[in-house]
Amino acid sequence: CNRKSGYRCMSHVYMLDRDEVGRLPSQPILDDLSRCRVLSLANLFDRVIQHSARMHGISNDLHSEFEQYFVPSRNHVGRISRNCHTSNLLTPNGKENAQKIAVNLPLLPRGKDPLWHFHQITAHQHDLANFSSDKALEMSDMVHELRKGVEKVAEKMQTLGMISNSVGTLADFLPSESGGWRLMKDHELLYCFRRDSDKIKNYLKILKCRIVPEHGC
Amino acid sequence: MSKTTAPVCPSHLSNVVCALNSPTSHAACCYVNHTVSFFFFVCASRRQDEEGHVRGHHRTVAAFGCPLQRSPPGRPVLLGCRSPEKETFTCRWEPGDDGGLPTAHRLYYQRERLEGTHECPDYRSAGSNSCFFDKSHTSIWVDYYLTVVASNSLGNATSDIFKVDVMEIVKPDAPQHVTLTAEDRTDSPSLHVSWEHPPNVDAGSGWVTPEYRVRAGRRRQAGDAADWKEYKAGAQTHFTLYGVHPGAAFAVQVRCRLDHGSWSSWSDASYAEIPERIGRDGPFWTSLWGLSGFLFLAAVCVAVTKRKSVMQFLLPPVPGPKIRGLDFQLVKSARPEDFAGALLIRRDFPPAAARKDGAIEPLIVSDVDAGVQPRSGAVSAGFGWDNRQKNNGGERNATREDGDGRSSTRGGDADFETRAALESDYSRVKDVTADNIFLLDSADVPRAERLPEDRGEAANGKTLSFRKESVPSERRKKLPPARPPRAARVIDGGYVDAIPTSPLGETA
Repeated sequence: CNRKSGYRCMSHVYMLDRDEVGRLPSQPILDDLSRCRVLSLANLFDRVIQHSARMHGISNDLHSEFEQYFVPSRNHVGRISRNCHTSNLLTPNGKENAQKIAVNLPLLPRGKDPLWHFHQITAHQHDLANFSSDKALEMSDMVHELRKGVEKVAEKMQTLGMISNSVGTLADFLPSESGGWRLMKDHELLYCFRRDSDKIKNYLKILKCRIVPEHGC
Repeated sequence: MSKTTAPVCPSHLSNVVCALNSPTSHAACCYVNHTVSFFFFVCASRRQDEEGHVRGHHRTVAAFGCPLQRSPPGRPVLLGCRSPEKETFTCRWEPGDDGGLPTAHRLYYQRERLEGTHECPDYRSAGSNSCFFDKSHTSIWVDYYLTVVASNSLGNATSDIFKVDVMEIVKPDAPQHVTLTAEDRTDSPSLHVSWEHPPNVDAGSGWVTPEYRVRAGRRRQAGDAADWKEYKAGAQTHFTLYGVHPGAAFAVQVRCRLDHGSWSSWSDASYAEIPERIGRDGPFWTSLWGLSGFLFLAAVCVAVTKRKSVMQFLLPPVPGPKIRGLDFQLVKSARPEDFAGALLIRRDFPPAAARKDGAIEPLIVSDVDAGVQPRSGAVSAGFGWDNRQKNNGGERNATREDGDGRSSTRGGDADFETRAALESDYSRVKDVTADNIFLLDSADVPRAERLPEDRGEAANGKTLSFRKESVPSERRKKLPPARPPRAARVIDGGYVDAIPTSPLGETA
C-alpha cells in the first residue's frame, strides 16, 4: 500500500489476526497487499481496544506472578518513592480530566508517546526477560503493535477530518530522558506497566465512545 | 462444718471478667464491658457429708465500688475499600479494644503525587467506622496509603498501612429495576428480562464498561428458588429465557461488574409466573372446529345420497370389449355350445373397409362339391374355429381352440363330413399375386392325425405362403364348379391355408 492507492489502505489490518494464544502471525498482514481491506473507524477502535485489554491482562498476570515469587513489603517500601515515569503524563485528576486526556491521545507525536517508552524499556529489561521470558517478550511486542494501532486510528481520524494535523501538544508531559527507567526495579516496572496499560485501555474506550458512540457504548 | 470456696462470678452474665483483688478475701471485682463494675462478695458455704456429697449452698452477695479498669485502645484494623462507580470510594475499619474509655478513630492518608498527610473528608456518609471519599477527593491510577488511629485518654493505637488504588477496588451495586415479561409465543413461551445499570454508574461514556449476568431458578412453595442457572448477558440490559414451562414460577436475579472488577451482589429476586397455554382452547378455535365438523358431515351426506354418480366419477366403468361382428351380450349369455353361433354372426364379414385398403384380407376358400349346405364362415389365417364346433359340442371346442389340430376320436366320419362341408364353403384361390408372403413356421402347424389318402397331395406342411396383397376376383364367395374333392388343401385340422404350389393354379 502506498500513498498513490489513496487512503483506502491506510486502515488495513495490522495486528489482529492472532490466534487464541495471542501469538503474532508469522507473516505480517501489513506486507500483504492483496489482503488490504478497508475498516471502519468503529471497527478499528474495537480492535485496538481489544488489543489494549489483552495487554493489560498480560501485564496483570506478570505482576501477580512476580509478587508470588518476589514478595516485597508492599505496605512499607516505596511509599512515596515509587515514581512511575509515566505518572507525569496521562494521569488525570478525575473522570473529566481523563476524558480530556483521552481525546488528545491520538495527537501524541510519534516517538514521544508513552507506549514508545514502554517498548524501549521492556525491550531492554533483560532481567525481566529472564523472569518470564515469553510473557515479557509478548508484552514488548504488544506495546509495539498497540502503538501502531493508535497511530492508525489517528490517521483514520485525520482522513475523516475529525482532528487537525497538530503536533506535540503533550510533548511537555514527557520526561526529558528515559534513563530513569533503567533504575527502576523489575517489580516497580511491572507495577507501573500494569497501571499504565489500564489507563491506555480506558482512554481508548472513552475516545471511542466520544467519536463512534453507536457501537456498544 | 461449713467451708467457704473461692468466689465465682455469676455465670448467667456475659462479658464478665473477674479479677481477684485480694487473695485472702473472698471478694471479686467483675467488670462488664469495661464500664460496669460491681463487686461480689461471696460467702459460700457448702456442706458436705461424710461421703463428700454437697448438701447445700449458702451465698451472700454484696456490692461495693470497685476500681475502674482502664487501658489504652487496641489497634484498629482496616477491612477494605470499595468503589461502586470508579469515581468515589469508601473505606471501612474494625476498631480494637477501647480500654474502657471513650475512644475516637481517625483516618489519615497520603497519596501519590500529593504532598502531605490528609484526614478523611467524610466520616458519616457511609456509616460508622467508615470514611467516604467523594469525587473531588478521589483520584484513579494513584496509590493511597491509609491508616486509622484510635485514641483515648490513655493513649493511641495505629493500624497497619493500607495501600489502595481505585482501579483495583471497583465493585458496583446490583442492577436496578429488574422487570420480567412473560411472552406467550405460538409454541414456546419465553421470559423476557430487562434491567437498568446500577445507580450512579456512567455507562455511556466509556469510563466504565458494564458486564451483566442473569440467573433464573424455579420458585418453590416456600418462596425461595433452587436450581439456579446462570447466563451471560454481555453488555446489554435485556435477556430472554427460552424453554420455560407454562405454569411454572420463576425467580430472576441480575448482577454486574465493571471493567473486569469484582461482581456486584445479586439484585433482589423478581418473580414471574408463566401462564398456561390457552391459545388452543379459546372460543375462536372451538367455533372453528365446530364449523369444520359440520361441513364434513354435510359432505358425507351428499356423497352418500349421490353415491352412484360419485362412484361413476371415481371409478368409471371399464368399457367392454368391442369386437366387430361379435355380439358380446350373446357371448355372455349364450351357452357354451352356442358359442360358435355367437361368434359367427354376420354374413358380411370380413367388413368392406378391410377390403378396400388392401391390408390383411381374409382368405375365403370353399369347395362346392361337398354338397354341404353353405355356411357362412368367418375365416382368417390361423383362426381355428370352424363349423365343426357347432356339430361336435363343447369338448371339441377346447381342442380346436388351442389349435393343436388333433381331431377328436369320436366320429371320424363326422370329421370327414365336416371337413367336406368346410371345403364347400371356400372358394379356391386362383392366383396369388401379392408380394408379401406370410409364412408359418412348421412347428406351429400341427399335423392332423388322420388324413384321408386322397390327400396325398397335401402340402408337406412345412411352409405356407399367404400373400397379403389383394387377390383378384377369385376372392369372392361363389360356388366353384364341381370337381374332385381334393382341391382344398386343408392341413392339420381346420386351418385354412393358402398353398402356393401349382395345384392351386391348375384349377383356375
